[in-house]
This record gives sequence, structure tokens and C-alpha cells, in this order.
Amino acid sequence: MPDDRAPWGSAVAGGRPDPSAEELAELRQLLLGPEQRKLRELERRLDAAGVTGDELAELLPEAIALRTGRDRQLARALAPTVEGAISESVRRNPREIASAIFPVLGPAIRKAIAETLAGLVASINRTIEHSLSPRGLRWRVEAWRTGVPYAQIVLKHALIYRVEQVFLIHADTGLLLAHAWAPELKASDPELISGMLTAIRDFVADSFAREREVGGLRRFSVGELTVMVEHGPRALLAAVVRGQAPDSLLERLQDTLETVHSQYAGALADFDGDAAAFEPARPLLEDCLTTVVSTDHAHPRHGSRAWLPWAIAALLLGAVLGGLAIRSHRRWTRAVGALESEPGLALTRAERSWGHWRLAGLRDPLARDPNVVLAGASVDSTGVEQRWEPYLSLEPAMVRARARRVLAPPPSVALALAGDTVRLTGSAPLPWVIAAGHASAPPGASAVDLSGVRPEIPADLAHLVREIEGERVLFQVGSAALDGQARDAIGRVATSLLRLDAGVALIGARGGLELIGRTDPTGSDAANQTLSQQRAEAVVAALAARGVPTGATRVSGVGTSRPLSESDPEQQARVNRSVSFGVSIR
Amino acid sequence: MIQKKVCMVGVFGTGKTSLVQRFVHSMFSERYLSTVGVKIDRKPIQIDGTDLTLVLWDLAGRDGHEDITTSYLRGSHAVLYVADGTRRETCDQLPELRALVREAAGEVPELLALNKSDLKDRWALAAGDEQALARAFDLVKTSAKSGDGIEETFRRIGRATLATKEAKS
Repeated sequence: MPDDRAPWGSAVAGGRPDPSAEELAELRQLLLGPEQRKLRELERRLDAAGVTGDELAELLPEAIALRTGRDRQLARALAPTVEGAISESVRRNPREIASAIFPVLGPAIRKAIAETLAGLVASINRTIEHSLSPRGLRWRVEAWRTGVPYAQIVLKHALIYRVEQVFLIHADTGLLLAHAWAPELKASDPELISGMLTAIRDFVADSFAREREVGGLRRFSVGELTVMVEHGPRALLAAVVRGQAPDSLLERLQDTLETVHSQYAGALADFDGDAAAFEPARPLLEDCLTTVVSTDHAHPRHGSRAWLPWAIAALLLGAVLGGLAIRSHRRWTRAVGALESEPGLALTRAERSWGHWRLAGLRDPLARDPNVVLAGASVDSTGVEQRWEPYLSLEPAMVRARARRVLAPPPSVALALAGDTVRLTGSAPLPWVIAAGHASAPPGASAVDLSGVRPEIPADLAHLVREIEGERVLFQVGSAALDGQARDAIGRVATSLLRLDAGVALIGARGGLELIGRTDPTGSDAANQTLSQQRAEAVVAALAARGVPTGATRVSGVGTSRPLSESDPEQQARVNRSVSFGVSIR
Repeated sequence: MIQKKVCMVGVFGTGKTSLVQRFVHSMFSERYLSTVGVKIDRKPIQIDGTDLTLVLWDLAGRDGHEDITTSYLRGSHAVLYVADGTRRETCDQLPELRALVREAAGEVPELLALNKSDLKDRWALAAGDEQALARAFDLVKTSAKSGDGIEETFRRIGRATLATKEAKS
């Protein structure tokens, strides 16, 4: 290498003995460019005031490890934050923390329970040791005869069942994935048992089941031991149970097996003989290692009182059934009563047999839903067979409802039924009053009476009506001739009447005009009557002359019979020598 | 703990069971073979520092291969054929047996133990026959009586099961 480099170096030195500064810089850039850039980057970083997030993320783990190795300062500083974070996490979602520490807590709790149980057995042992009951003596003899410790004899007699071993077995190979066993038990060759269990399962399936999917061997017993096997697609769970294994245990095994399948799906699929991946599943299996001890050694009762529990049970059963029957009868009475009193419903058939209810009848379309009626009577209508035919009810409530449906009155109008007449009272917008006037009476009623409804006339028309009704056409004493003032008044009334007619026609209504002629009290009644009539007719004629249609105008002379009143007698006399106007809109 | 399922198959009377009897952990009696049709033993070995447990399924072969319960072969990591060098027909039946096994267990490592190698005077195979067998099978000569070749058989089987695992991964 040095030999290679020397000629190249000398060539440069010899070829360019005096390189200019520019060329040197270029050469430096070519040779040292990358290093220079790195140097500048380093300088920039040193100059930068802080550290970027990316850099911090790079440095943080290393920094934590470094500081943790040096002293406990970091742990002390972080402790409050970590404690706070944990308690916050527990407060928000306890499940997360619970499942995280479950594998640690489970064995600890089981150990505590095992110790408690051992203590309990020891305590039973002591109790019976000191008591000289025949049972205690009998068990003592059994312990002496068999050479088994007395405490175990007690446990054996008090034991309902105990799961002693649980095997998690790979379904295809029969190899043992995990194994859990009761602490005081000596487990012998679980790998072989696991294989043999699989073989026996295959043997039973091949020998007796025509199809493999029958489910295989689930349970077999040998003396006091029962082996329960739960099958999964990729693994089996077998439990060795001493005592009377309840069926609920199979469900428990099934749950555990399902959990294993979901948590170890990948490991089960890729299993190739290395069971290390299933070591964490052992706590799941240990959970199945339950011991159930009876706390009551009651022996069957003998003699005359053996019937007592049965009698009590029968009495209780009788009481419960009786109570149920009474309750059911009350419900039925309540339901039938509610339906019968409901307007628009006519119950024609109501049957009840063995808790099955059948109801039939007629129903007005406007009546309430029978289910709602039943619910109102606190009766659940599910399972009640119902058949309702439609009909028209003439009950007042239904006729009212129907009238309300047909007429649709505004809230300001009250609707009542007087005999077979629908009577409406209150005030309503004029268009509704007009429409209601055209509506026919609903079934169950013969007429609609709108006389009690005051039509609400639109404001502009009401103004015109007030103007017209405020006018008086005044006359000289004893005269029916129209003077200049009277003509002016008639002119104003005519204009207003023409405008009113147009407005009323627009909303589809009709206007009515009434003219009332009056006189002052001087003169005879007969003369006054005639004069008042003449005055009114004079005004009608003048209105007609101004183009007001007066065909339907009611004209009346009332003489002095319906005087307009004023406080001053002279003024009153003047005001009553007049014709006044009344306007109605329908 | 690594375990491998190894099935042992062979015609009745090849000394299959006695071949491994002295070398394995056993808890089941031979009655299982005639009742359930299989007996399971365990053989712990160490290969290149790896602890391995061979779970040996000794499949009963009574009067011919038809008696093998093929569902026992399911999931095997390796198959050990056993033939009797003093009875030619036990070798002749091997191809048929092998077809049956492969159908149930799939393509897994195989080894043939040619047993009773101590009975030289009653040996029924010519040199050519043995060569033909060696071409078809990975072959080890064994003797249940002397124990010759048996540890080697286990080691080769164990190594083969580990090798397939590596090949897979």
C-alpha cells in the first residue's frame, strides 16, 4: 500500500509544484468535504440551545439506564408520577391493571387460600382430636388402620371434590403444553399421561364413534377419580378430579380452554414441540385447581321427622303456587275491567286457561290501543292473544273524539255534545268558522252548532266594521229628509261598505248589513215608528244610489223602543233622530 | 422443554418393544399394546446442548399393518420403523407400511432400525438386500439384547426432528 501511495503523492507534488490557493481549496473540498459537513452539523448541534424531540427520543432510554445504574435519584424523582399514573389508570379503567397483575396475584391468592385451608384442616383436626365423638373415633381408627395422616382422613370425608391436576395437551401430537397440579401432590410423568390420554381419546373415538366430530371422550371415572376432558380445535384440557366432579367444572374447563385458544392462537398453530411458549398459561390452569369442602356433615335424618323437610317444601311450593294463582286472577280481573270500561272498546269474549289469555271484541278506530289500556292497568300484554274488529261507537266520548277529528277546532274553541248536537263555543279565526259551517255532522251526531263561536275577523276588516258601526246619519226633528251632513255620512259609509264587501269576498265570507232607524221621544209612538222606518229606507235608497248592493240589507225602524243613550237629554234626543248601522260577517 | 412425538411401527415380533424397553422411562405396562394398541414411553436426550424429550408412541402391530390405528400417527415429528433382520418378510412389508404411515403422518423424518443384529447366524438378508434397504431408508442396525445401535437410533431420530424445525423456521 505505501508503495502504491508514494508515486501518486509524488505525481501530485511533481506535476503541480506551486498550486494556487483556489486549487488547494477545491482539493480540500474533494477530499475532506463529507468530514467538513459533519463538523458543521456537530457545531450546529452544540450551538443549538435545546434538544429536539427526535434527539430526546433517541437519548432517553440510554440516559435512563445510565442514571439508574449510577444512583436511585431517578427512581425517587419518578415515584410520585408513577404512583399518580397507576392510581389514575385504576380509577379510569381498573380492568387494564387487573389483567396486568393477574398472573402475579392469582398464584399469591391461591397460596394464601391453600394455607388457610391447611389451617382449617388442622383446626378441624384439633377439634375432633379433643372431641370424643363416635365419628372422630371412627376416623381416627381409619387413620390408624390405613396409615394416612388423620388430617387427610378428615379432608377426605369432608371433601366434595378437588381438582388435582390439569393438563393442557396439544390436540394433534398429544404432547404436553402445560401442567398444573395441587401443591402437595406428586405429579408423575405428565408427558406420558398426556400422550396416553390423547391415545385413549383416539382409541375411544375410533372404536365407538362413527364420526370423529362426535366430540370424543369427555369424562371417565376410576374409583374416586374422574378425568374430565374438554376438546378444542388445537388443544385439549384434561382435569383429574377427586370426588364428585360437578358438571359446572366442565364449563369452567371450557372457559379456560377458550381463553387459551384465544391467547395462544399463534403458538398453538405453530407448535413444534417447544412448550416454553405455554409456560405463561400455567396460572390459567392453576385457576382450575379448586377444592370444594362441605361445611355441613348432616346425615340423613331418620325416624318420624324424615317427612318434615318434604312437608315444608310442599307447603312452600303450595304457598308459592297459590300466591301466583291469586296474582294471576287479580291481573285478569284488572285487565278485563279496564278493557270493558274503555270508551270505544267492546269486549265480546275473554277466556283464560293455564296462563293463556284470549281476548276478542270490537274496537272504534279512535279508541286507545288495547295494549296501552292493559299497560295502564299494570298488565303485561305479551302472550295475550287478541282479536279486534273495527266498529263505530256511539258513546259520547267517541262521538266527541270523532267530531274533534272532523272539525279540528282550534284550542280556543270548546267542543261539547248536547244530545245529538255538537256544540262549539269560544272564538276562532273566521276561515275556520266558515269551513266548520260547511262541515257535515260526524257519525253519532245530527248537527253542528256554531252559534257560540265568535269569528275572529281580520284586523283590516274589523277596522272597517268599527268605522261603519260608528257612523250615525242624523235627521232634523220630525223629518226623514237627508241634509248635507247626512249625505256626507252616507258617502263615508258607502265607501267603507264597498271596501268591506271586497275584503269579505276575498276570504270567502259573506257580509250582512242592518240599518236601524230611530226617533226622539216627542210625538206619538205610531208616528215615530213610521218616521223611523222612513229614515232607514231613505238611507238605504241613498246607499243603493251610491252603488252599494242592498238587496240583503235588513231595514228596520224601531221608533223609540231601542234608544241610544246619552247623559244629556237634549243630546240624547239629537242622537236618536238617526239611522245607525250593524255589520255581520259570516 | 422441547418434546417430539416419535411413532414406532413395525410388524409383530420385530422386537420393537423390547428394543426400547431398557432405555426409556416407562410407566405403562405392555398390556396397553394389546388393549389400546399403543404404549407411550419417554426418552430424554441431549443434542448439541439442547434438552429434548422424545415421546415414543409404540404402536402395536399384531398380524400385519392393517392393525395399526392410524389416528395415533397424527402429529408425529418422526417415525421409527423396526424390522427383524432374521425374518425377511418383516422387511418386505416395509414399503406398504411406509405408504400407510405417510398417508397418516405426512412427510416426516424416518429411520429404520434393523433389529436382532446379534443373531448373525440366523440373519436372513443378503448384502444386496441390506444395500437396497439402506437406499430406501436411513438405516441403523440394532440389537435389543446387547443394546447396540439403540442410543444411536435415538440420537439420529432426535437430530432429525430438530433439523426439520430449523428447516421450517
